[in-house]
Amino acid sequence: MTAATVLDVGSPSAKQKRSFWRYWRGNLKGSEFTWALAFSVPYIAVFVAFVAYPVFYGLWMGRDPALYADVFSDGIYRDTVVNTLVFVVLGVNLKLFLALLLSGVFMRPGWLTKVMLMLFVLPWAVPQLPAFISLHWMLNGEWGLLNNALWILGGIEGPSWLNERWTALGAAIASHIWKWMPFWTVILLAGRMSIPQDIYDAAKVDGATGLNRFLFVTFPLLANLYLVLTLLATIFLLGDFNTVFFVTGGGPNNETHLLATLGIRNAFDLARPDLGVAVVMTALPVLIPLVIILMRKLRTAEVQL
Amino acid sequence: MALMRRSLLQGSLGFAAGATLAAPYIANAQAKTMSAWFAQGFVEDEDIALRKAVAGYEKASGNTVELSIIPFAPQRQKIVSAITSGVVPDVTQNNPAEILPLYAWQDKWIDTEDVIETQKARFSETALKSAQAYNDVTKKRAYYGVPLRGACVPCHTWKSLVEKADMKMADRPRTWDGYFDFYKKVQDNLRKKGERKIYGLGFQITANGVDPAALFNAFMHGYGGQGIVTPEGHLNLDARIREAAIKAVEYLGGAYRDGYVPPSAINWNDADDNNAFHAKLMVMDVDGTISTEVAVKAKHPEWYFDEMVTDGLLYPTTNDGKPITCITAMLNAVIPKGARNVPVAKEFLKFMIQPEVLQDTVETGLGRNLPPMPELARTPFWENPKDPHLKGYVQQGLLGPTQPDYYVFNPAMAEVYAQHVYSKAMIAVAKKGKATDAVDAAFSEIKEIFAKYPIKQS
Repeated sequence: MTAATVLDVGSPSAKQKRSFWRYWRGNLKGSEFTWALAFSVPYIAVFVAFVAYPVFYGLWMGRDPALYADVFSDGIYRDTVVNTLVFVVLGVNLKLFLALLLSGVFMRPGWLTKVMLMLFVLPWAVPQLPAFISLHWMLNGEWGLLNNALWILGGIEGPSWLNERWTALGAAIASHIWKWMPFWTVILLAGRMSIPQDIYDAAKVDGATGLNRFLFVTFPLLANLYLVLTLLATIFLLGDFNTVFFVTGGGPNNETHLLATLGIRNAFDLARPDLGVAVVMTALPVLIPLVIILMRKLRTAEVQL
Repeated sequence: MALMRRSLLQGSLGFAAGATLAAPYIANAQAKTMSAWFAQGFVEDEDIALRKAVAGYEKASGNTVELSIIPFAPQRQKIVSAITSGVVPDVTQNNPAEILPLYAWQDKWIDTEDVIETQKARFSETALKSAQAYNDVTKKRAYYGVPLRGACVPCHTWKSLVEKADMKMADRPRTWDGYFDFYKKVQDNLRKKGERKIYGLGFQITANGVDPAALFNAFMHGYGGQGIVTPEGHLNLDARIREAAIKAVEYLGGAYRDGYVPPSAINWNDADDNNAFHAKLMVMDVDGTISTEVAVKAKHPEWYFDEMVTDGLLYPTTNDGKPITCITAMLNAVIPKGARNVPVAKEFLKFMIQPEVLQDTVETGLGRNLPPMPELARTPFWENPKDPHLKGYVQQGLLGPTQPDYYVFNPAMAEVYAQHVYSKAMIAVAKKGKATDAVDAAFSEIKEIFAKYPIKQS
């Protein structure tokens, strides 16, 4: 060990201390640092209490590997994974594709379009619980509004929508699309409105009209937005609870659960919160990559037409 | 100036931190305040009755009760969350009823024997048994609940629909199969009259809620299959029980398969059968409490007094004419371990189980729930000759032969109910499966669940 090294043993710690404080305080001096701390502490406290703590508490509750053996051996869970995949693939894509088309309709000028848009967003504005409970009753096979209408108008005996797995799941997907499509339509409408008219004018000169205008101008400019919305909608839908809980109740015979509703069932109906958390945790391998891709896509700023 | 601002900021932060740390100390200083969580009643009068009783305690004791009345389903979630997190109220109720034995097994409740002792001689035997549960930590059965109200499962009938089918209520057989077959005939007659959507039997063949297990148990007892769990907590799946289970599954699932039960019943929740019954879309319903009747008493007194019939007094017998022991589920108050004011909680519960308080609570609540003391059934309210429902209901669930639900003897049964094992068997038969296969599958699952809850000593 050289003398220089010996001398350095004491001073780095003092230097490190100073550099730590410099780093910690940034360029703030005197009372500025105290003010910054005072403003930051409430936010940090809220973040720790309502974001970090629940997430880590959930991870802690679901830490026992034996829980996952219980989850994977449960037949209801296996059905639930299939349901969730079907729900996500159909729910997200149908909803966004229809929203993309409808946003074009609502770009048309005129007061009638504005009135239609106002009516169209109503399902989104209605609170979820009464909306989905109403749908549950409307879909009742014997005395629901839908089957009564079919009988009165066409003498058709409608099926018991909520009695079979696939019709019940289909009803839940349709209810979800009905409820949330207006929201995504409005976002895509805003996206369309942000495209400068100059680009369309230039495209028109080049002969791009009708479908070509959509394919070669509108869609490329909306593509990144559409992809971001798809990722967002997928993340939202993976955590969706209300639709299935209130429309099908997870039935018949626990055949239409999604991960979120099964998690709640396990946590509270079986009084096994740890098992409920474990069910939801199994979505993380899908959810985390989605969030990472979403974060990357949000940085995209340029589009090549 | 900078120094003052800094001092002010540092002082404020110090005060905020100090106040946070001191808060529990201040709360502890208010030793006479306690918290209580109860489920919202099905009729508003039940909540009025509860508030009245709590106000009576506050006046008598000078203590304060922070009362939370929470809707039924969220309260269940709140209790499970509270027990899991350890942040518990001083008093709550066993909602659902099964959590009393489930959490007693895990040693999560305070012993309540000293509370029970104050009125022990007055409680029915079923009420006392329902307040007990097995603790797997102490390996002993002890009192963990305090009985407040009870409920059994009567049969509810629209007299007007029976008469619409040109049949008479008085012609209903009193034996089990005959009684329920009568309603199939009512439906057949209604179909002939062009009523395409009125069903004879409102059976909850569903895997949701608490109703299907209660329905199945009623049929098990109807077919002589009493005692699937012994009072010592041991599972009994002998030939008698198996035969009753096969008959029960066949009748319930078969009635659905044959079109005598509304098709949507396979996916009903707890409220759907009540809604369907109130809409006169089925002739009869087997459903716990008389909420079906009291819910319409104010708005449709003609329904309550003339059109609806509750078969409690005239509850059918077994097929060989023996009276049936009805299962009476008890609503118990419980004190979770970790409660801050256990002495006040116990004092509160001692007040709540005084006969006059219990009487006022159940009677102000329109009699949807039964009192836990037989002497409280002999009041003008329950014996009112003008009321067509109360006398029969209290006879069936309190004065007649009753027993606690099976989860009281072993919490495994609570998991059997939560996993809807019986529902799966009924649904299998409803979907044209064989009753014997359905029962064998159900019994196999029940055995697996019971293996997790071994009780060595009673």
